[in-house]
Amino acid sequence: MAYTGVMPSARSRGMVREARHLLFTVAPGATWIVIFLVLPSAYLMSVAFMTNGSYGLPELPLSLESFRRLAGFGFLGWSPGNLYTLLRSLWQTLVSTGLVVIVAYPIAYYISTCRAKWRPIMLLLVVVPSWTNQVIRTFGWMNLLAPGTPLSELAEALGLISANMGLYPSNFAVTLGLVYNFLPFMVLPLYAAFEKLDTAQVEAAQDLFASPIRAFWHAVFPQTLPGLLAGIVLVAIPAFGMYVIPELLGGGKGMMLGNLVANQFAGGANWPLGAAGAILMLIATFIGLYAMRRIGRRLGGGEEVVI
Amino acid sequence: MRKRTLKRGLTGFWWFTLAFLYLPLAVVVLFSFNASNSAATFTGISLRWYGRLMGNEEILSAFANSMILAITSSVIALGIGCLIGYGMYRHRHRKLGWLIVLIYLPIVLPDIVFGISEMAFFVQIHRLTGLLQPGLVTMIIAHVTFQIPFVALIVYSRFVGLDPTLFEAAKDLYASPTKRVVHFMLPTIKPALISAFFLSFTLSVDDFVISFFTAGPESATLPIYIWGAIKKGVSPEINAIATLMIGAVAIAAIISLVFSRRRQA
Amino acid sequence: MNRAIENREGTPMSDTITAEAIESPGTRPAGEATQGEAAREASSIEMRGLHKRFGRDTVALDGVDLTIEAGEFFTLLGPSGCGKTTLLRILAGLEEADDGRLAIGGKDITEVPPHKRSVNTVFQSYALFPHLSVRENLAFGLKMRGLPPEEREARVAKIAEFIKLGDLVDRRVDQLSGGQRQRIALARALVNEPDVLLLDEPLSALDAGLRSQLQVELLRVQKRLGMTFVFVTHDQQEAMVMSDRIAVLNGGVIQQVGPPREVYERPANAFVARFMGHDNLYPVTARQGARLSTPIGELTAENPGEGGLLLIRPETLDLLPGEVAGDNHLPAVVSERLYRGSHAEYRLEIGTSTLQATLNNRGRHLPEVGHRVTVSVAPEDLVTLSE
Repeated sequence: MAYTGVMPSARSRGMVREARHLLFTVAPGATWIVIFLVLPSAYLMSVAFMTNGSYGLPELPLSLESFRRLAGFGFLGWSPGNLYTLLRSLWQTLVSTGLVVIVAYPIAYYISTCRAKWRPIMLLLVVVPSWTNQVIRTFGWMNLLAPGTPLSELAEALGLISANMGLYPSNFAVTLGLVYNFLPFMVLPLYAAFEKLDTAQVEAAQDLFASPIRAFWHAVFPQTLPGLLAGIVLVAIPAFGMYVIPELLGGGKGMMLGNLVANQFAGGANWPLGAAGAILMLIATFIGLYAMRRIGRRLGGGEEVVI
Repeated sequence: MRKRTLKRGLTGFWWFTLAFLYLPLAVVVLFSFNASNSAATFTGISLRWYGRLMGNEEILSAFANSMILAITSSVIALGIGCLIGYGMYRHRHRKLGWLIVLIYLPIVLPDIVFGISEMAFFVQIHRLTGLLQPGLVTMIIAHVTFQIPFVALIVYSRFVGLDPTLFEAAKDLYASPTKRVVHFMLPTIKPALISAFFLSFTLSVDDFVISFFTAGPESATLPIYIWGAIKKGVSPEINAIATLMIGAVAIAAIISLVFSRRRQA
Repeated sequence: MNRAIENREGTPMSDTITAEAIESPGTRPAGEATQGEAAREASSIEMRGLHKRFGRDTVALDGVDLTIEAGEFFTLLGPSGCGKTTLLRILAGLEEADDGRLAIGGKDITEVPPHKRSVNTVFQSYALFPHLSVRENLAFGLKMRGLPPEEREARVAKIAEFIKLGDLVDRRVDQLSGGQRQRIALARALVNEPDVLLLDEPLSALDAGLRSQLQVELLRVQKRLGMTFVFVTHDQQEAMVMSDRIAVLNGGVIQQVGPPREVYERPANAFVARFMGHDNLYPVTARQGARLSTPIGELTAENPGEGGLLLIRPETLDLLPGEVAGDNHLPAVVSERLYRGSHAEYRLEIGTSTLQATLNNRGRHLPEVGHRVTVSVAPEDLVTLSE
């Protein structure tokens, strides 16, 4: 049994084996994502710094022309069109996220108070509409809001819109479509938060604070905050980049950043301009993610905010 | 007393919200049976729009494309994602931050940026090499890219939920590496694999934006076809095809309900 | 590589299991003696110079040399982090030693992967496969080794009878209680008839009553099979009840190896003494032959040894009422008494030192708190040990 080995041999052999295992399992997927997503996105970003060529394709030399165009400077001087689009995107994101929170919060709470037997079915009922294709869902709203439909006529009778206009296309229709589209994304994380709610804390709070509003604010709300933040991330980020809903429900005056970007590629109009818009969208996305993480971490719910 | 009014108010709000969620779908279904081609008034029941679907070559090929795309991409994503999920689990004690970023990237990237990046990339590759002409292949590539993270995360969380000594028990009980995969790992994560496949499938069928930008002229899927039809001017045929798709979702919902019920029992 | 298993193919050990279980529980049938010897030889364990580090600077094992005899119930005892579980995992092949050699039955298996070792483990968490039924769990190892279905079934039936599993075999894993899982885990390992059975704190998750019941059962199984058991625990009581021999580990180093009585009564050093539950340790300040000076007084030991610490076991003490002069008599005051029915535990004060004593309750006088007593100890009960 005399043994005169070199100490690190078994160790390093094990480490090599583990490293090979990591490579074997992770490399195919990582390579796939790098080749088919990281490289394309990097290319897209570089396009933003190129010149618009004759067929709408990017060409050298490098320039910042596309960002100037995005800010509204064109052949005919400055026009506010793009700026309006950008502001409208922000506004629509804010309003629709706020409305989604207002609707989803009581719904999630309500589901959590119902009998355990019913909860999965109720959640399923909330989620199932989002399983249908986005285009179909939006088309449903087109049917509902078109001129001559009961809803439009009701709005007309109330004097909210002028005769024969219909509720769509309009900014209102876009907001409605966004709320409809993202509601389940907010209900699910909020419900998870409500389900974990520490009822002892709520009861203690009811003892300590006279009013139910204060009990809610001090005991319930903080506990649901991680779910709320997760929901906001899940709603606001895709809402800001939304393409289908404003395209179908918004018309010319309801355009959002997503449509501005897409149009530069669909019609072969101006790739660099579209790419510049995409960069803007990415920046907004990462600022949003970063802000949510920071806030979430400060509130102590950091881990759960990571979607 | 106050509690009861609150509860009653919430119940009312619940039903109102459900109506809000299902109204647009209900309208689509209702008008698919409309006798006239008006989108605003219902004049009587008829199946004529369904009849028209059957003869429409374009719709049939769009349906076939949707299925080929969803199944092929889900199978590929299941294989690749499953490997990553296991790798992430097995090496979870290492610093894998870069991998996590890579895996979350397809999830957090806005659809539209995802779609146009792929499109711009494929167009340039095609110009330079003649490969990857926009069509089903490029769509499959794009779909696999956004499906991989979901599969990986589902598989990963299933592994994390397991008692880690199970892996050692399998080794201890004479299972060779291959037998461990066949007789222990795959059977143990089977529920996760099934749900990952269905999620991938659903994501693929549900997707419009990314498909739209990576599709070629011959590879329109159902959502792309419907989009085109809507853009050309609303036709009641869309209601019929949309109703069929809603029906498919309803069936899927019932199946998932039955499954979760059985798992509880 | 699985010589032991192949050896037994001719006269499968499972036959002897049932024969013993049915005919003569507790005693070995005469015809088995020779085969038992063969099995013995095949299942001794030798460890030489085992080292293991985790990361850069966590030393789990620091040169372990140990020989475990075939058929022994051997216990690795120590506090958490002492390296006992690492050592067990190296035996199982689940961990690779950085350095050193390991042999079972004289065959070097240092680099043999776990699935090729004739060694099975009963895990602390039991590790029953949730996707399989109890029956499939039991047959898993046999299936992986490629035994035909009929033989698997026969062996599972035999082990189920031997461990008295009854109708547990037809249940689902999630329908089992902790004690039932423990027995299934034991059966799942034993059914493979390994050379060595490893048990990683198998009883720690159970409540006290069930625990002592299963201790007895486990011991009985081991004696009947004559299989080598290596048992890991941090509970010195459990170790003493179960083991033929105990190895006490600390900081990845073996402190002492020996039968329970030896480890308890003659601990090799202060660590072992304290871990075995001894508190009465006093530095020897001076010695003249067998005469030892300590902070509690001068005592004569029959065979003191060379160590610098005097160990006085509480149960060797006698308490005499009042002050009684005599050799090895120390005056003390009772500062605490815990009455436990069968016995009483005392805390005594001698000057500034304290002394623990345990007195059997034989119906005689039990001194009360505050009483002056005389502590008496026999010279042959005193030992010294090194720090």
